[in-house]
Amino acid sequence: MAQVRLEKVSKSYGKLETVHGIDLEIAHNEFVVLVGPSGCGKSTTLRMIAGLEEITGGTISIGDRVVNDLPPRARNISMVFQSYALYPHMTVRDNLGFGLKIANMPETEIKTRVDEAAEILGLGPYMDRLPANLSGGQRQRVAMGRAIVRNPDVFLFDEPLSNLDAKLRGQMRVEIKKLHQRVQTTVIYVTHDQVEAMTLADRIVIMRDGNIEQIGTPSEVFEHPVNVFVAGFIGSPPMNLLDASVTGDKAVLDDGVEVPLPAGCNVREGQQIVLGFRPESFAPKGHSLHGDAGALTLRRVVAIAEPLGTETILYVSLGGMDVQGKMLNPRVVHPGEELDFTLDLTRLHVFDKAFGRSVRA
Amino acid sequence: MSRLSIEKPWQRWLIRFGVFVAMAILCVPGLWVVLTAFRPNIEVLARPAVWIPQNPTLDNFARLFGLSSAQQGLPVAQYFVNSLVISITSTLVAVVIGMAGGYAFARYRFKGKATLFLAFMLSRTVPGVALSLPLFIIWARLGIIDTSFGLIVVYMAINIPFTIWLTDGFFRQIPVDLSEAAQIDGCTPWQAFWRIEFPLARSGLASAAIFAFLTSWNEYALASQLTRTTASKTMPVGLMDFTAQFTVDWTGMSAMAVLIIIPALVLTFIVQKHLIAGLTFGGVK
Amino acid sequence: MATDVQVLQRPTLSEGITAFFRSPRAVPYLLLMPAMIVILAVVLVPLLVSFWTSFTSYNLTRPDTLYNFVGLRNYQRLLGNDEFWWAFGRTFLFVTITLNVEMMLGLGLALLVNKITYGQRALRTIMMFPMMFSPILVGFQFKYIFNDSIGLVNNALFDLGLITQPIPWLVDGTLANFSIMFAEVWMSTSIFAILLLAGLMALPKEPIEAAKVDGCNPWQVFRHITLPFLMPFVYIAMTIRSLDVARAYDMIRIMTNGGPAGRTELIWTLMTRTGYQNSQMGAANAMGYVSIILSIVFTFYFYRKLTAARTFMGGAQ
Repeated sequence: MAQVRLEKVSKSYGKLETVHGIDLEIAHNEFVVLVGPSGCGKSTTLRMIAGLEEITGGTISIGDRVVNDLPPRARNISMVFQSYALYPHMTVRDNLGFGLKIANMPETEIKTRVDEAAEILGLGPYMDRLPANLSGGQRQRVAMGRAIVRNPDVFLFDEPLSNLDAKLRGQMRVEIKKLHQRVQTTVIYVTHDQVEAMTLADRIVIMRDGNIEQIGTPSEVFEHPVNVFVAGFIGSPPMNLLDASVTGDKAVLDDGVEVPLPAGCNVREGQQIVLGFRPESFAPKGHSLHGDAGALTLRRVVAIAEPLGTETILYVSLGGMDVQGKMLNPRVVHPGEELDFTLDLTRLHVFDKAFGRSVRA
Repeated sequence: MSRLSIEKPWQRWLIRFGVFVAMAILCVPGLWVVLTAFRPNIEVLARPAVWIPQNPTLDNFARLFGLSSAQQGLPVAQYFVNSLVISITSTLVAVVIGMAGGYAFARYRFKGKATLFLAFMLSRTVPGVALSLPLFIIWARLGIIDTSFGLIVVYMAINIPFTIWLTDGFFRQIPVDLSEAAQIDGCTPWQAFWRIEFPLARSGLASAAIFAFLTSWNEYALASQLTRTTASKTMPVGLMDFTAQFTVDWTGMSAMAVLIIIPALVLTFIVQKHLIAGLTFGGVK
Repeated sequence: MATDVQVLQRPTLSEGITAFFRSPRAVPYLLLMPAMIVILAVVLVPLLVSFWTSFTSYNLTRPDTLYNFVGLRNYQRLLGNDEFWWAFGRTFLFVTITLNVEMMLGLGLALLVNKITYGQRALRTIMMFPMMFSPILVGFQFKYIFNDSIGLVNNALFDLGLITQPIPWLVDGTLANFSIMFAEVWMSTSIFAILLLAGLMALPKEPIEAAKVDGCNPWQVFRHITLPFLMPFVYIAMTIRSLDVARAYDMIRIMTNGGPAGRTELIWTLMTRTGYQNSQMGAANAMGYVSIILSIVFTFYFYRKLTAARTFMGGAQ
């Protein structure tokens, strides 16, 4: 049983604090993804869990042990590095077995476990090669293999897919997911790619500037972002965010367009707000995701159309900004064409302008 | 290989000619000394000059080791042993100490790092001749003048800074991730170093060692003052035995020069690739 | 939080030191400790001793004079000593001229060898030979080659019928200076050539191709792309070279030992003559200090250039 608990964990380099007392509880066998822009403290947090960085303040426990002062080797964790960190002078077999050898495990048992890991990851044909003679995807597998042979309490992944090309990244994402289902271990995974976060995670932790912005399941953070940052970070293409002010029960955009606010918003008359809606909620009539019922119709001129096959992304001007709409079951649309767009009012996000917090009930 | 510029045939020949001349200037002096080592003295003094050795002989070498009856032998064998002992010992110690220092500079951030690095480099700047004066005074008082030990200690000191410079470069080429991965795999930092980083830096360390060896092997300024007798004199110092006030034993000196050159040449062949890489990486990256 | 602590005592100095050496912060210092101790014992302490002796009238033949403090007298005498000033000026010129000539020749050689496609490795190996020669051997070799009666150079000139009288390469003052500089250049040009060749081989192709597309002629490409890229390598070579400019001493010691009649006397030969032959250790150490400062100034200058060039390069990558 290995749940991981972070309590008020902080990290400073001299006077500069980069992680500001974060709290996080990770359940046994849970797959948690730390995601955020570069410099948000996600990698530092992971490295503190691994024991590669000293913890300035707070406590980290794995299972029921506080590990603050334990060196990495005593934490029973394994880690897949962004660079894979394969030992260049050892064959694949020796790379996989290194940790077991250090632990003085008998040769025969090392062989059994290494072969088992190789089997899972399909590394059989490459066992006697050096890392230099492997492709990127194969190296990635060896790195994962090295992590699983040790049967650790916690798996740590530090941006493991960022050195792969787009196609391979998609494949490896699936493999990691399969692997987790097969070996049932707690996983903490760091990435800056929100697609990876959404597809892999049981729960996502969104970080910015050394703070946790939101913790939730992929659908929670997608459907109910607690602030403007999360709203803009999760989802692709990103959520449209427009400045507006409250007049009665309507929001008035900068170009005078009035949008009815959902019921129960915690706003006052004249308040400056940010109105958010995903491209999925903004589509030409008859091409939207959730149907056109209860939607506001706006007639707009298409500036640019990006056909992606099953959908077309349309750029139009609204509220003085370029907003994106997603057209399902698309037909050919030419720039300059004027279309009736529907805006799904039930899926509006409302944030106060001053603090960026969600004010929707 | 794509050419950066396209040369005309006459330009290409000009380049080859230039390279040939340069290489000739680099090679001929050494070759001439080697040839002389195998000539009888009479041929050296002959007028007009004898270009191709007419009577090649090993007599000069025999003379060095006292095997020839013609002249009493100089204790060259002893000098050779002294040189080997002093160079090898000082190299081994300097590499171990320098490696620790190079690792510290490559892997850690600490207060005064840049200053300390510069200080090490500047310590190497002190001319051997200038350093020999106070060392002569101190070593004489400590009673380690004219001993191998005294010279070994000095050579350690002059080799450490450069070993630090080289090993710093070699260690920086090894990603930190590897040591971290090993520690997560269950190694202590000490094990991670010996099992991962040391094997990867080995070829670089070997070239640092060879460079240190050659520095000690070739050094003259300090050795000439800190050694006095057969007990500790090294080969370069011994070379001066052949010069009297007005006469020089050219063939004998040439033979001894060949003995000094041979280890240097062999080691140069072994080390060349790594050494260049070490010098440039240490400096640029 | 201080209220939680029952007895808040300042740790004593020794406790503080013990605590420091057990903390991870101490690791780099511990690793560097042996190196620092050796340098301290073999370089720093002797330098302090020589600094002290440079203020005494210490004479090797009379040990008690080590404590005979004479203030700045040694330095004053140096300043008023023509022989010293000649040696100093000659040394400065010697270093400046040889470093520049080595740089230019090394660059030329590197550019030439870089154009050769076949057998480049062998050429590089040949270029390394002079680097590995003991300076004393280089000196002996050129003493032999420049010898007026049996030397290779005069023999060749005789046989080619170019001269009838031997040229006194090492006996004439001007020629002797030329000869020692030639030997020095022979010994050290390789360092520049090899390092610059390494630089040329690491030269990225794209900027050069971009410059050509932008309409640069070969000279402009060299001047504006190749040369700036090579500068860090030039500074590495300069730094390495100026680290031990004084190894020229070994070479000159055997070639001319300052002669004829002091015409090739450099500060290093003058220093040993004063110290060991004339036993005037105090005065010799004063000269030693001047030579140390000279070396440090050269090295420090190029090292700073190197650091600057390195950060400049770092920005471009």
